[in-house]
Amino acid sequence: MKTQDMREQLAQMGNGAHALATQILGNSDDAADAVQEAIAKVLGRPGGYDPKKGSLAPWFMRLVRNHCIDLLRRRRGEPLEAESLPATGPGPEASAEAAQRDEAIRSALAALSPDRREIIVLRDYMDLSYAEIASVLDLAPGTVMSRLHRARMDLKETLIRYG
Amino acid sequence: MATEHVGELLSGYLDGELTQQQRQRVTLHCSGCEQCRDDLVELRALRERVSGAPLSELGEDQWRENMNDTTVQLSRGIGWLLFIAGLLVAGFYALYHLMIDSSMSFIEKFIIFGVYGGLAVLLFSVLRQRLIERKTDKYKDVEI
Repeated sequence: MKTQDMREQLAQMGNGAHALATQILGNSDDAADAVQEAIAKVLGRPGGYDPKKGSLAPWFMRLVRNHCIDLLRRRRGEPLEAESLPATGPGPEASAEAAQRDEAIRSALAALSPDRREIIVLRDYMDLSYAEIASVLDLAPGTVMSRLHRARMDLKETLIRYG
Repeated sequence: MATEHVGELLSGYLDGELTQQQRQRVTLHCSGCEQCRDDLVELRALRERVSGAPLSELGEDQWRENMNDTTVQLSRGIGWLLFIAGLLVAGFYALYHLMIDSSMSFIEKFIIFGVYGGLAVLLFSVLRQRLIERKTDKYKDVEI
């Protein structure tokens, strides 16, 4: 893959990777740094990605996830609290109702366990296939559907509580 | 009417990840089960809500700019590395020739070494201080 193509794909995946990293690290700024470091790693050694082994997205997401987990280990991070997740405010054009709905989603996601947050972001926010999710999370392909379903049901219940 | 709910197959159905046989099973079950039908509608709405939620406030352009920064930083780093390596080689080369030069007395050699060595140490010290300040200055991005 040409480096320019890779850069373009990485730019397009940046937001998804940032959302995933935010769910793991619990902080938008730390997540942005982690994604930036992951991008630098990839661009520093573009030959590390082998297109024969699958598309770039799951490979990159796995790299971002592992990097975030390394960061957490190094910092000996405490379990995430709902308040620690970013309050990424809506733009000025967003209606108050939409902002409330977005806030409810963020709060409900923050209330889930990290593994449930991850799988929901990978599928519903990033639109990865089950096989790709299995590769990112290092799961058996057959377990993705059941885990995702449990996570969605949890999110649904939590959203009812958050309104 | 099917009595056993299809559970996780609803998610697979929604995501287009089921086999044809599984899809038929879900379709058939949902046609007679109001609860699973409602669950499917709710799960679909939930998925749309998550996919449209601003979970990241950064834009593609920002990542592109950051990548350019990374390239600039990398090339700058390589440039500095080459410059310092060249300087060191030149320094050692000059020192070697100074040492073996028999046309100069020890005092002359000492003076030359002192002047150039002192300049090199001063330069290194200033560069190091600048680097530390650049890394630790909280107000470096503040425009006056």
